[in-house]
Amino acid sequence: MGGWRWFERRLQILFGRDGAEREMDEEIRYHIERETQLNLAAGMSPAEARRRALVDFGGVERHKEQVRDVRGARILDDLVQDARVALRGFLKEPSFTLAVLLTLGLGIGGNIAMFAILQTSFFQALPYPGSERLVLGRVTWNGQVGETVSGPDYFDYRERATSLEELGAFTPFVLRSTLTGEGEPDRVAAILASPGYFAALGVDPVLGRTFTPDEGERDGPAVVVISHGLWERRFGGDPAVLGRAATINGTPYTIVGVMPAGFRLAVDTDVWLPMQRGGPWAQARQFHNFVLVGRLAEGVTVTRAQEDVDRISASLAESYPDTNRNKGLALTPLHDALVERYETTLLTLMAAVAVLLLIACGNVAGLLLARGSARRSELAVRSVIGAGRARLARQLITENAVLAVGAAGVGLALATWIQRGILAFVSLERLGPVEPRLSLAAVGFALSLSAFSVMVFGVLPAVRVARSDPASELRGGARTAGSRVGTRVRSALVVAQVALTAVLLAASGLLLRSFDELRSVELGFDPSDLLTASVQIGAMKYPDPASRTDFFRVLAERLRAAPGVEAAAFVTHVPVRNPGGNVRVDLPERFGTSGVFGQLADQRSVLPGYFATMGIPLMAGRDVAYTDAPDDPRVIVLGASLAAAIFAGDDPVGRTVGVDAGEEEPVVLEVVGVVGDVVTGHPANGARYAMYVPYTQRAGTSMGLVVRARGDMASASATVRQALREMDPDVPLAEVGTLDGEVDRVLSSNKAIAVVLTLFATTALLLAAVGLYGVLAYQVARRQHEIGIRMALGAGLRSVVASVVWGGLRLVAVGLILGIPLALWASRLVQEMLFSVGATDPVTYAGVAAFLAAVATVACLIPGYRAARVDPVEAFRRE
Amino acid sequence: MTARADLLQGSLDLLILKTLDLEPLHGWAISKRIQLLSRGALEVNQGSLYPALYRLRDRGLVASEQGESEEGRRVKVYTLTRKGRQALERERESWRLFSGAVEAILATG
Repeated sequence: MGGWRWFERRLQILFGRDGAEREMDEEIRYHIERETQLNLAAGMSPAEARRRALVDFGGVERHKEQVRDVRGARILDDLVQDARVALRGFLKEPSFTLAVLLTLGLGIGGNIAMFAILQTSFFQALPYPGSERLVLGRVTWNGQVGETVSGPDYFDYRERATSLEELGAFTPFVLRSTLTGEGEPDRVAAILASPGYFAALGVDPVLGRTFTPDEGERDGPAVVVISHGLWERRFGGDPAVLGRAATINGTPYTIVGVMPAGFRLAVDTDVWLPMQRGGPWAQARQFHNFVLVGRLAEGVTVTRAQEDVDRISASLAESYPDTNRNKGLALTPLHDALVERYETTLLTLMAAVAVLLLIACGNVAGLLLARGSARRSELAVRSVIGAGRARLARQLITENAVLAVGAAGVGLALATWIQRGILAFVSLERLGPVEPRLSLAAVGFALSLSAFSVMVFGVLPAVRVARSDPASELRGGARTAGSRVGTRVRSALVVAQVALTAVLLAASGLLLRSFDELRSVELGFDPSDLLTASVQIGAMKYPDPASRTDFFRVLAERLRAAPGVEAAAFVTHVPVRNPGGNVRVDLPERFGTSGVFGQLADQRSVLPGYFATMGIPLMAGRDVAYTDAPDDPRVIVLGASLAAAIFAGDDPVGRTVGVDAGEEEPVVLEVVGVVGDVVTGHPANGARYAMYVPYTQRAGTSMGLVVRARGDMASASATVRQALREMDPDVPLAEVGTLDGEVDRVLSSNKAIAVVLTLFATTALLLAAVGLYGVLAYQVARRQHEIGIRMALGAGLRSVVASVVWGGLRLVAVGLILGIPLALWASRLVQEMLFSVGATDPVTYAGVAAFLAAVATVACLIPGYRAARVDPVEAFRRE
Repeated sequence: MTARADLLQGSLDLLILKTLDLEPLHGWAISKRIQLLSRGALEVNQGSLYPALYRLRDRGLVASEQGESEEGRRVKVYTLTRKGRQALERERESWRLFSGAVEAILATG
């Protein structure tokens, strides 16, 4: 028989059961017919003839079975039969089955969920053609990677870099802007982008074009590219949108293009405004507002491109020592750069779910072992009546396979939910929306995880059964050496579970403590009952400082007079919500003398009453005033620590400072007051140097409103809305919220990881407690006899309980002794996510040990009291 | 029917091969032929015939094809393959050796 025909036959045997079976049926039927005929011819009655023929054949089914056996189909049959038996068995023990499926399913589900998130974020290509050639360019200071690059530096890099096919620039923050003209005013997010930004990413607009090179030059035409979302939302997807005017912050722009849906890089925006050489945000080398995105030339590696830009950085440092000394540009593969911020979080969570699965496996192993022990006599009986050992082991393995498939199914079902939950907490906004989804790889991952976990622990009892001697098994009942080994294995599992739980608890404890520290950072103002919003007035309608000041002054006065409002004021950057906006400041005479100079301080323009409204203490001098006229000598209020840094303890009031404005000469201002320090950005960054200039002397169109309200925030915001509508219906109110809410928002990612990890740790703790409980309850059940004797001999209730509890706590102690060093080692992973709490924080570790011990004690007490209820007479009678 | 001998383990294969060496036959006819050729002394356990046939077919010693029975029914007819013929030769040799040895032992004393 040729190889192919042999193969074909095997296939037929495996899959073509029906055909082969029919063939066999026919042949045997024919045989029996012929025999019957012979018998008839020999003079038997028809019934007798047939009976005789069947008897001679010797049992049709038995022979068919033999034929099947010969043909290897037996294994399949056994498999189906075993699976059926297994299913029936599991259905008969619903609590066991449910416990295994849920425990394992949860562990597997968490792993699939994280696996899919990791897969999407780390391994999925970015949605730009040839994205592997894209790099992100960020500034470096003394080799440390920062974020933004200055506009003039960008143009130099773009013009001189030969290793880059294209280099673009964009602002990594959005400018909240007002879009007017045709219909209601609309708040939109805008970013500045250079013509090279679109060219480097290689994404074409769905309509029109992107920026031409001359639109990126100084005073280039005012054009704008809009997002697909804005196009549909505001322009109804009208193809005739090209060439139409869109007034942004009072300036008319012409719409030249519409980008495809979902097009974004790092930030979501509604419109792209051209970044212009020497234009807004790009005036000077010391103003760093752009992140660069480049496309490597064909065949150029990142390393070579980096060498290329390093040469340019060196020559810039030589040409512009004041601004470019120690400054460089770091090129990072775009995907790596976008992911790096989430790497720690995602890897921590992945490690946590993996540990959780291990702990879940521990419980499942315990359950399987217990079930295995309970079934030993059943298996022994079966082996005595003739089931082969291989056959028994095969059945156990089949049972576990059924469990594995079931658990994988439960895991898959739970995975999407878990994933949704994780993504709801942990946002990956730089990568864009990560859809909860499961890939084929994730399903494969689930099945292999499940199979692995169940097989490792399911085969253990199988091996023991194969080794066991049925006779001693039947004689000794449950009290045999084998089950003592089982207890030891289960004890070891509990120790491992406790150790792993300690690791998770420690990590979550550290993050919770860190979050608590963040929450209690001294903000420098009172965030409760503070309503904030942003207000943008039209530059055309309010062309000069006087009219702008009037608008905000009147609005503030009307608000203060409104019921439920205690105080109201305006500031360009609401603390915590709007970070950034820093410039250099120092004594005027130090300018130009020593290259890099002064302090970087956050500069804000405020209306009078701002400090009082916020609850920022005035420590010296006075607040800004409406009498600080535009043409008067310019004045400034300094934050306390900035004042101390510049004036080194001297009284600053009445002295002058110079502020860098990107020009030859600094702007000189007189210090009129000193106020308390405040946290201007993320609380983790602490209080920063800050300075305040009067709005009257620096009047922009976009301001943040702060209102100290009494009672209900909703009615306060209605009051504000009403007042604004009365002032000017064209001015939209945006970003309405409370400062408390704002603090929560900026801390949300810190909170998210702490919360998610705490959920994991709590689940782990519960599982470990259940595991501990299970072992002890089992031990108590087995030791009833012994406990009965001890009680009969006069052992008190307390000593019985204590012996059980101590037995359990010994396991916990061993688990902690192993777990705490493991946790210390593993805490390196979360270290960089911690704020003001050390990774080896002794309080946390002591707390973890105490908490674990407390929960474990409860888990031990239940079986302990059960032991105490043992009735000696009853225990003896059972023997 | 007089004395009947049980088939020795493994000898059924040899008998089937020998029977098919004479001419292609269907299953029932094989069992009848063996009975006939042994003059009724050997009764093939009918049921074990088919497993043996399938085993031989899987080993490629016999082949099966659709044929017709004496009364014109479509039945499966088994033929000896070339490999089967070689196997028959080998089996025959070893059988002779074996039965000769047994005879020799029985002939003593």
